[in-house]
Amino acid sequence: MSGAETAVTGIGLVTPAGIGTAPNWETLCAPKPAAALDPELDGVPVRLSCRVPDFDPAALLGARRAHRLDRCVQFALVAAREALADAGLDPADRDGARIGVVLGCGLGGPATQEREHQVLCEEGAQWVSPLLLAMHPAGMLAGQLAIECGARGPNLVVSTACTSGTAAIGVAKDLLALGRCDVVLAGGAEAPVTPLTVAGFAQMGALSRRHHDPSGASRPFDVDREGFVTGEGAGLLVLERPEHARARGARVRARIVGHGGTADAHHVTAPHPEGRGIEAAMRAALADADASPDAVAHVNAHGTATRLNDLTEARVVRRVLPGGPLVTSTKGVTGHLIGAAGAVEAAYTVLTVESGLVPPTANLDRPDPAVDLDLATAPTRRRIGLALTHSLGFGGQNAVLAVAPA
Amino acid sequence: MFEQLKEILVGKLQVPADLITMAATPEAIELDSLAVVELSLVLDKELGIKISDDTLAEAGTVGDIVRLMEEQGAAL
Repeated sequence: MSGAETAVTGIGLVTPAGIGTAPNWETLCAPKPAAALDPELDGVPVRLSCRVPDFDPAALLGARRAHRLDRCVQFALVAAREALADAGLDPADRDGARIGVVLGCGLGGPATQEREHQVLCEEGAQWVSPLLLAMHPAGMLAGQLAIECGARGPNLVVSTACTSGTAAIGVAKDLLALGRCDVVLAGGAEAPVTPLTVAGFAQMGALSRRHHDPSGASRPFDVDREGFVTGEGAGLLVLERPEHARARGARVRARIVGHGGTADAHHVTAPHPEGRGIEAAMRAALADADASPDAVAHVNAHGTATRLNDLTEARVVRRVLPGGPLVTSTKGVTGHLIGAAGAVEAAYTVLTVESGLVPPTANLDRPDPAVDLDLATAPTRRRIGLALTHSLGFGGQNAVLAVAPA
Repeated sequence: MFEQLKEILVGKLQVPADLITMAATPEAIELDSLAVVELSLVLDKELGIKISDDTLAEAGTVGDIVRLMEEQGAAL
């Protein structure tokens, strides 16, 4: 059974590749990797991160407003403003009850939580900020966005680790197809670059330790890959029912035509060895899009650059998509934005099908011979009738979106 | 005391300096219920002046908060 498609009418990006969609695309196609040594991670076994460059929340949001928002919410609000402007949509002109918000976030606001935990331990409970629980819970993302733009419809945060942003867009598509909303602001935001969070990922063995070559640290599908680099940021899409977009004369940038979500039900961090869950999610997305696997011309892979992920994902793409799609992992530039990754990559996939230009996988100097895929090593012109974007999460979740041109 | 309060409102709560006058109301400087609790905590931490958030919430203007601070400060 296939589901109704959804129009993408606006994009907003705040990522390690830049603030704004145009700088993101330029950085991605260059490609200019964002990974760098991070002085805030001194003392942590891994000191690499992908930060949003020159992010000044007080200048972008006002000092008073920024003071009361966790960094992940700051990213989301800036991205949402761009997405709404891009869509030519002023929520104040619309029925707010018909506008929904669905955002993905894996961790909430760990920086706020860690700061206040330090206050608790060093100074005592009486000095913990009364703003703590108005800032760090993941639910604040959707709540603050609703306050920002008067969106009074369904308001949700999806928290399924690295699939959060992808799944959020899938849920938004369903809300639109069911007629619950006319417009949904959908995407994801994450601000995970804190000593505690990065130490946790490092202890798992998930991170690249290429301190001698920071810009080469995130190298998906390369034979010398050793793990991901923790990134931060937000990706927001304005999604609309196609008839709503048409009625207001909106420019449709691309269409989300399918999504699939599954769980491996196998292991908390290792993907199923045959990629059972991601395969099922790909097939579900294709069924939702009423499309055949050989129609897929491009995949924006999860491609974290961990040994296990890249091999499993490559095998499944090879097995499920006989059309030989051109594959890229934009994480070579951005690092891994955890709960925001899938949303940012969905936005990149929209830009890819819209422009017919596939951005390259950065740092892919020597493709792993065990990865039998057609990988983009330079910006490549390609007519794309259908693209998939994948996310796999710690917890065993899988989420896939199918994206088609307008 | 006004200057000390202003310094805290600007430096800690990030209220724009030009909004802060003796006659300004809590609404004018965006002092909602959470910010009142935050201000109560910061006054204690920075100046050792203990005014409960319930008492602060009854202040009609910045001037009223200054007077409460002076009363508490004098009692120290």
